[in-house]
Amino acid sequence: MSGLVLLLTVLAGVYLVAVLEEWSATGRLLLGTPVVAGLAQLSRESLVPRKPDRLLFETAPALLLVAALLAAAVLPLAPGLVAVDLATGALFVNAALAYVMVALVMAGWAPDAAYALIGGWRFLGQLIAYSMLIVMPLTAVAMRAQSLATTEIVTSQAALWNVLAQPLGFALFWLAAMALAFVPPFDLPVAPGELAGGVFAEYTGVRLAIVRLGRLVLVLTLALAVVVFFLGGWLGALLPGWGWTSLKTLGVAAVMLTVGRYVPRLSPDTLLAWAWKLGIPLALVNILWVGITLLTVQR
Amino acid sequence: MMASPGQTVALVIFGILALGFGTAVFRTKSMVRSALALLGSMAAVGGLFFALEAEFLGVLQLMMMATEMTIMAIFMVMFMMDPGGLGQMEMTHQKRASLTAGVVSGLIAIGLSTLSSWAAVVAAAPTPSAQLHDLGIELMSRSMLIFETAGLAILLAMIVATTIALKAEEKR
Repeated sequence: MSGLVLLLTVLAGVYLVAVLEEWSATGRLLLGTPVVAGLAQLSRESLVPRKPDRLLFETAPALLLVAALLAAAVLPLAPGLVAVDLATGALFVNAALAYVMVALVMAGWAPDAAYALIGGWRFLGQLIAYSMLIVMPLTAVAMRAQSLATTEIVTSQAALWNVLAQPLGFALFWLAAMALAFVPPFDLPVAPGELAGGVFAEYTGVRLAIVRLGRLVLVLTLALAVVVFFLGGWLGALLPGWGWTSLKTLGVAAVMLTVGRYVPRLSPDTLLAWAWKLGIPLALVNILWVGITLLTVQR
Repeated sequence: MMASPGQTVALVIFGILALGFGTAVFRTKSMVRSALALLGSMAAVGGLFFALEAEFLGVLQLMMMATEMTIMAIFMVMFMMDPGGLGQMEMTHQKRASLTAGVVSGLIAIGLSTLSSWAAVVAAAPTPSAQLHDLGIELMSRSMLIFETAGLAILLAMIVATTIALKAEEKR
């Protein structure tokens, strides 16, 4: 039963994220747009480039979707409402999301096309920039919860949410999550206007529909991850737990999708330099800060 | 600890997948396919860890290998003359020497695993959270020196590699 509830919740979440994405791009809040756009996409011809690496070309969209779904599987919506409650949940999120990068590299290599190739390898470079900023704030979150289990991480925030207990880690994780979901201004692998769709430029029809679905699940998963790790998950007054999780997740997704529209796209070298020279030292400061507060102040 | 039928089936499936992907590494001409096949093999080993109830090792294996193998792929593309495998380049070299090395190291591994006196088999694997706790205590006590030394060595290698990669005029 809870499996069905989870599936329906993910589907509803993906649909609403699609509505939000349309709203962030056009300013129009239309509930029917994802259905129309999805049907139009499915009716289009699904072209295959002239000399593709066919195996990787076909696998990449599915891998993107599966990786995002696997990461979502360990994130709780409410007490007892989680697909798999792993003791290593926080680490598993990162492990599953690593395959998003594998999917993009595969999609970049497979079509034998220049823009896609640049997009794919660019995302790999970007990974080096953001992945430490995903793991290191998560380390500090696990330190406070004394556990890697996502449900225990939520309950550890009962007195004070992590966004207030470790604001530096929150900011770094948020930015890294945006980079991982390649939303503007971190949309380097797709880079419309520069790489003309980049890593997914050669995908059309049904294959592109799967790519888009995977990307929407990815944005939803990362917004949910921000909520679970830093915004107290299901914690909140009056509403039921799943209600709070849903509201917070949609709020985070909306901000993730809109903010970047007002900022120019970062260049790859700027992103790398900021992540290495500023982000990682700040993440270390965050771990030190959390360690000191844990030793000196009551958790 | 006796394995349940489900565990045995999972072990067999992941074992076959690990070997299958491992073979695919050498059967393709494309560097990227080869690296990704190796990733498939390593991910299947991660699945083996899960089947053996070593959850943390499984997750770690899945996470580390995804990044490492993809980075290896880009290095292979950069260094090899024919990364796409369009020139039908031979992927195997020094066949006799590699066969000998493979058989000898395989025999040593089998010998070590069968002849070693393992500790008594426990009734049940510790819970995943207990495994995590024990691993943390181990890393912070007996194995600390080993891990710190390894970490320092890797850091040193990174700094030296960056220094070597810098052009002469940038060094000044």
